[in-house]
Amino acid sequence: MSRSAWHRGAPHDRLARLRRILFPLWVLGATLLVLFPIYLIFMVSVAPGIAIFGERPALLVTHPTLRFWMRVIARGDLWAPLLKSLTVASLTTMAAVATAAPAAYVIARLPARLRYGLVIGLLITRMFPEFAIGVSVATRFAGVGLVDDYLGLILAHLIGALPFIAWILVGTFEDIPRELEEAAAIDGTSRLGTLLRVIIPAATPGIAVAALFVWLYSWNEFLYARLLTTSQNTLPLQVFQAIDRGTKQQMAAVAAVLLLPILCVVSVLQRYLRPGTLTGAVKG
Amino acid sequence: MGAPLFRGVVARLRKYRLEVALACPLFLYVLGLTIAPILDTARVSLTSPLDGHFPSLVNYHTILASDAFGAAVVNTVAIALLSISLQLGVGLAVALTLHANFRYRALVRTVMLLPLGVPTIVAGAVMLLIFSRSGYLNAVVFALADAVHALLGIEWRFVPLSWTVAGGWRTLGIVAVADMWKVLPMVILIFLAGLQAIPDEVNEAADVDGATRWQRFLRVTLPLLGPYITMAIILRAIDAFRIFELALVLAGRVEPVLGTYIWNRYGPPTNDPFTAAAASIVLFGLILVFVVLYLRVAHRGKEDRA
Repeated sequence: MSRSAWHRGAPHDRLARLRRILFPLWVLGATLLVLFPIYLIFMVSVAPGIAIFGERPALLVTHPTLRFWMRVIARGDLWAPLLKSLTVASLTTMAAVATAAPAAYVIARLPARLRYGLVIGLLITRMFPEFAIGVSVATRFAGVGLVDDYLGLILAHLIGALPFIAWILVGTFEDIPRELEEAAAIDGTSRLGTLLRVIIPAATPGIAVAALFVWLYSWNEFLYARLLTTSQNTLPLQVFQAIDRGTKQQMAAVAAVLLLPILCVVSVLQRYLRPGTLTGAVKG
Repeated sequence: MGAPLFRGVVARLRKYRLEVALACPLFLYVLGLTIAPILDTARVSLTSPLDGHFPSLVNYHTILASDAFGAAVVNTVAIALLSISLQLGVGLAVALTLHANFRYRALVRTVMLLPLGVPTIVAGAVMLLIFSRSGYLNAVVFALADAVHALLGIEWRFVPLSWTVAGGWRTLGIVAVADMWKVLPMVILIFLAGLQAIPDEVNEAADVDGATRWQRFLRVTLPLLGPYITMAIILRAIDAFRIFELALVLAGRVEPVLGTYIWNRYGPPTNDPFTAAAASIVLFGLILVFVVLYLRVAHRGKEDRA
């Protein structure tokens, strides 16, 4: 920075220097605040009893113990919920993509008015309290033996997942130029062939992001799982049970099990998460 | 007169049979497992629990006369408005930060998006650890009190608080903070999309015209972010009014919101699906009214500027 610049813009420059000090502080502070709850879960899950009780629980654990992890694993009530959560989330994701992607493509090619009408209609179904929908669905499912059944839970999770994934994918398909289809049609490709060989590959990044969100939704889902479960818990139900009647460390250990794989997945996949994909059908 | 119209519809269906076949599963699903349950809830809410009379407004009269329902409505609106303002403000600040260039930006972005992977129920569990009487917020305040004592010699007798069972604004506030932590990544991503959609030339033009950063933010960035702000508000409002898990874990018994009120009515010991259904319809109406009102205000603002 030259001397003359300093003279010309002194107040502005002081502001810039202040900003140079404050900016890293703000970034550091915000990062630590976001990290703190995650740190806490893992810290408490390895804390020996006395460290975290009393009026002033310690913020650091000096003698970590794996006792509570062992207990959670040994009790055997971990693998079954883990397996159930994994299976349900993965199958829900596949079913959601298979159902929503073709429909989203059709919606994206409709005249603007109809398109927005349908997207807003889907959004309005999301405004209804999930609990009421869940109770009504659970009553029907009970009649056909879908309670305590993987399929029943998958069908329930699709209720929440489909409008959301359709919303993202309509935006994705809108962004694919129609010229691409027209060129394929001129080359003599059938409409279904165009869809499978031209449109779907072009939409893969958007579909991947949408799939990630559906997977997370199902993995995290609590309400439908609660209503449709009498015997085999999913992981979120297991956490709720631990909140209800476990010790702090048990709760933290179960939560940590639920958290560990998902944090790895999110931190790896988030670099592919282009913000534009999420904003779906209402760009501009 | 009807025949040609019918034939026209059939011809169109035949022409677009691939499209119809592709779209059908989604719409049948939504019809059967979303619209039908909603109508079912509406029917139950209009059925008298005493004599099965339909339609009857007796369930709505019952909840409107109950103090607990009134409190739940007030709490819900308070939490929703508080949550939405917090999330939008902080989300925009973080998005602006991540949009700037600095070292470690990729790392900071990863950290900021981490809560995306934290199940809401786990967020509730950890907030319970932080905000309970022997929780970590109190521990931090204790440490602060010690520091004040050591540095300034002022004795600060801090009485530990239980934030979750205190009730009132304090409890509503921590539910809003907990919710903000969990959903911030979504808001950040929406705003980042908006910021990236602003062409560099616009910012350069503002700089050439001698605008300060603050002026550029107010006159250029904010108006161009308009549609994204609308989208964030609507998406967040839908979830904020229906807040359930966090309120259940953190404030379930002290400050019920509509989500937990409905849950309590359905479940034991009340076991009353009728008023629970009526409360669900009211909550749905509340969200719809908020979204429509907001769109109206936002739209009018746009016309004024034009």
